[in-house]
This record gives sequence, C-alpha cells and structure tokens, in this order.
Amino acid sequence: MAGTNAPIECKGSILVLNQYYDDYITVAAFMIMGFVLVGAAVMMSRAIAPRAPGGLKDVAYESGIEPIGEGWNQSHIRYYIFALLFLIFAVEAIFLFPWALQLEYFDSIGMGVFALVEMLVFLVILFLGLIYAIRKGVLKWE
Amino acid sequence: MGNAALLPVAFEVILIAGALLVLMVAVIADRRRSVWAPIAGVAYLAAAAAGILQWRAVAESGGDLYFSTPDIVIVRSPMVVMDGFSAFAAILLGLLGFVALLGSWDLVVRLGKRSAEFVALGLLAVAGLHMMAATPNLIVIFIGLETASISFYILAGFIRGSRASDESALKYFLLGSLASAMFLYGIALTFAATGSLTIYGANSIRDFFSVAIITEPGILLAGLALMLAGLFFKVSAAPFHQWAPDVYQGAPSAAVGLMAAGIKVAAFAALARIFIGGFISQIDAWAPIIGVVAALSMVVGTTMALVQTDLKRLLAYSGVAHSGYLLATFVGGVEGVPPMWFYVSTYAFMVVGAFTIVSVVNGPAAHAAPISSFKGLAKRSPEMGWLLAIIMFGLSGMPFFAGFVGKVFAFVVAGEAGFLWLVVIGTLATVVGLAFYLKVVATIFAPDESGEGLEASTSARIAIAISATVTVVFGIVPWPLLEVVRDALPI
Repeated sequence: MAGTNAPIECKGSILVLNQYYDDYITVAAFMIMGFVLVGAAVMMSRAIAPRAPGGLKDVAYESGIEPIGEGWNQSHIRYYIFALLFLIFAVEAIFLFPWALQLEYFDSIGMGVFALVEMLVFLVILFLGLIYAIRKGVLKWE
Repeated sequence: MGNAALLPVAFEVILIAGALLVLMVAVIADRRRSVWAPIAGVAYLAAAAAGILQWRAVAESGGDLYFSTPDIVIVRSPMVVMDGFSAFAAILLGLLGFVALLGSWDLVVRLGKRSAEFVALGLLAVAGLHMMAATPNLIVIFIGLETASISFYILAGFIRGSRASDESALKYFLLGSLASAMFLYGIALTFAATGSLTIYGANSIRDFFSVAIITEPGILLAGLALMLAGLFFKVSAAPFHQWAPDVYQGAPSAAVGLMAAGIKVAAFAALARIFIGGFISQIDAWAPIIGVVAALSMVVGTTMALVQTDLKRLLAYSGVAHSGYLLATFVGGVEGVPPMWFYVSTYAFMVVGAFTIVSVVNGPAAHAAPISSFKGLAKRSPEMGWLLAIIMFGLSGMPFFAGFVGKVFAFVVAGEAGFLWLVVIGTLATVVGLAFYLKVVATIFAPDESGEGLEASTSARIAIAISATVTVVFGIVPWPLLEVVRDALPI
C-alpha cells in the first residue's frame, strides 16, 4: 500500500524513502496525460470542425427554449439567507447518509448507542441553529 | 480508556454548550443580558474546573490519547490527547476567558440585545483555542484555529456602522484567511512527506521519524516552513505582523484583550505541540528559522513601538516584541516549554488587563486610544493609574514583575541552546523597550489640567485587579507557577 496509509516499506530497520517520492511520478504522469488529452481534443476539433459563425449560434442556450428578455436578472438579497440555511441542512443530510450506513457496524462492535447519541448531538446543535434563525426573524418575508 | 469518557473533551463541551445556551436564552426567553451574564461566566469557570480535573487525572495516571482504540479501525488516529500540556491550557484559557468577559462587560451592557452574540462568540473562540492545544491531529488543530479565528474576525467588526471596525474586521479576515491557507498547505505538504497527519499514536509523524531517514527533505521543509508562517501570522511575529496594529486599533477595545491574548496562548501551544511534540527530531532544521524570526520580532516590535502615539497600537507592537521573546523559548526544544507557558500565561493576563483599562478610559467601543488621553490618569483615578503602571512595568520586564521572570527563563533556555546572539538581541530589545513603557507610565503620573474623574464598573475593576495581581504575585513569588508548568509538557 505504498503511497496511501503506509507509505514506508521496511528494509531492516532503516526505511528507504525514495520509493515513496517515486509515487509522485504517477501523479505527474496523470497530470501530463490530462493536459495532453484535453489539448489534443481541443486541437482536433479546431482542425477538423467546419466553421460558420453568426446567426442562431450567438443566442444564449436556455435548455432549448428561445430566450426572452435580458440576460441579467436581479434576485432578492433575502434568498441569500435561505441559501445559507439550506446549506446547513444539505450538509446535515450528507453526514446522515454515511452514518446510517455505518450504524449497523457500530452496533456490531457494541458502540451502537454511542454512535446514535453522537449523531443526535450533531442534529440537536443544527436544530438549535434553526430555532435561533427563526426567532431572529430570518424566515419572515417582509 | 473509555470511548464515552467525556473528561478529555469536557472543556470544549462545556464552552460550546454554554454558547448554545446563551444564544437560546437570548432568543427564546428574550431576557436582558442579566441572564446570559452568569451563564457565560459559569461556563468559563466550569471549563477551567474541568481543566483542573484533567490536570489531576493526568497527575494520577499520566497523559493518554483518546478517541482511538485498536478495535475501531475507522478511527485510525487519535483526535484528543489529555496530558499536562492540554490540561494547563484548559485552566489558563478558562480563567483568561472569564477575566476577559469581566473586562468586556461594559461593552456587553452597551450592546444591549446583540451582546448575546458577543458573549457566545467569545465562548466559541475559547473552545476553538483549546482545541488547538488538546489535539495531536494537524487537521483538528486547523479546525480549532479556524473556529477561533472566525469568531475573532466577527468580534473585530462587531461595532456596526463604524468604518474603522469594518476595516479592522476585513483586514483581519483577508490576511487571516491567507495565513490559514498557508498553514493548511503546510499540513498537506507535511502529509505528503511523512504520510501522517497525527503527532502521536499508530502510524504517526513521531513513528515515522523514529524509523525513517529522509533523503530528500525538500517537501518536508516546505511543509514545516508553511506551517510556521501560518502560526507566525497568528501570533503576529515579524515579518507577519503588519495586520496587528490596524486590527487592534479598529476593533472594540473590550474585545481586543481576548483576541490578542487568547490567540497567542493557543498558537504558541499549537507551535509547541507540532514542533516540539512532533518534529523535535528535525530541530536543527526549524530552530534557526524560529531564532531569526524571534530576533526580527523583538527588533521590529520594539523600534516600531517607540514611535507610537496610540496605546492600542503601542500594545500591538509590544505584542510583536513579546512574540519574539516567546519564540526564543522554542529554540531550546522541550526545555523551552515550561518557560513558554510561564511567559505566555502571565503575558496573557497583562494584555487583557491593559486593554480593559484602555476600554475604561476611552470607552469600550472606541477605536482610538491616544496616549495623551491617559495623561494624569493617576490623579483622575488613582486605582486605574496605578494598575496600568503595574501592568506596564510587567510588560516591560522590570524586576519584581512577572514579565521579568518570564524573560529571564526564556533567555536562559535560548542561551543554553547555543543561541547567544538571540539572548544579546533580546536583552538589548528589553532595555530599549523600557523607553516606551516608561513613557506611558510617565504620562500616567503627569500633572493633569482637566482633572475629570473617571468611573470604572465593578466588573472591569475586578478584571484589571486580577491582571495586576498576576503581574505582581508571579513576579515576586514565581515558584508555584514554575512548579506547575514544569509538568505541563506534551506527552
């Protein structure tokens, strides 16, 4: 498992680290290949694609529907608060999924209650945040 | 070690629960500040008491790592360490938070309903600060640093509609984020070089150095340098200090005490934990860097403080110089940890006391604190005048004040480590530094024409008195504290 959790390979009592740094050659190779492939694709399309600028091509693409009105639109600053609150609960949901999947495992090693309480603490803290936001009048639209 | 044992994290739990309680009481009960005052105060004191319990537990059975057991493979690396080091940090930060809360009480009263957030942010910040001292995991140190820093950014800009306060908060936020990013990148490079994020435990940085010989240290050195730069910024060591005077100037005086003192305590603790706990085998690589930065901080801080006309800016530059003296303890390796603790714990209380006096004299939300406004303070309010004089003597390193003892031990450690040039520069900087501290003292005792009386609230007076008491008591009888910090070592 060089390069992940145990980067060091034992040779007697002294470890050789050059090997470990060699793993970064893989990273470098990946990066170079990435640039080369993307660059090649762009160059290819440049070289062989027919070009006919103008007309409908200058119109903004909006899921196939013909665009109406200005491209710039104002949205209400209040949405910002909603977005923030949404973000909190989106993160909460992301944490809940892996936790739910691992709960049985925790139970099997006798730590089910511990894991449950841990998640409850997390949920309660976020819930208090929601209460705080509501009481502060953040969700009122005035 | 039980996994449900809460003692190792009791400090953080108490403070965060206290912060949530303060916020909930503020919005649900809709009471006045009289209710959340005791909550926050009790939370700080309870947290300090938890620190004392930790200290006793460590004294009985020795330090240990927590939240990592052989049977749970998911939790690979320990996240919490309970040792003399973290327990001392808990006691110190709990008491410091309490004194800072007393000192900022005038501001809390003036802020009215918003003060719940002010108090809660203070509690959260202190919880984050202790997290930096109590974890062996570099990422958790970063999380603690951010918890504290973000709270401090908000506290710096807490006076709404004030341009100076906005400027202070934005400056602190932008530069502080840059420093955090550098610190994080340093962690990433360290991980790349050692394959570990944790200082102790299985597969740790320590294990790595006990068996490995690094043939190409480039990545490791870059990582160490970036981590150092990030923490140097947080303690405002030269040349990473330019933000400090502007931020201190613009932030409300009553909040600066905790900002300035707390982050120094925690950042030096993290520095000791990382570099003395984890990278002690690399001391030849990092000690010279710290030595040079220490010397630079002493020189720059002292010379810049000489020309200041504002007490808040003067204290900011004196903080730069003090960071230099504190850094001088680090070149001595593990020998430097007890002097570091002695110095930073007495210094922290002096700083909180000094800024509390500034907020009493110039108003808790004021930005400017021209030294001329302290003219004749001893006559207007003998109590404030004498206490400020005591704190100034303490900061200057006069004999029989705590700053002197701290400096002596710092210089002894640096000298024994072979950094004699650093001791020479430090001594010179101390002597030159006397000039501006004594200038303040002379202003305090200068005859005053206006002769206006000065009223301080009881809480502010208690805070300043505690700070002055620490300065005097540990200057005359430093042995009890020296005895304690001798055991406050990282495991």
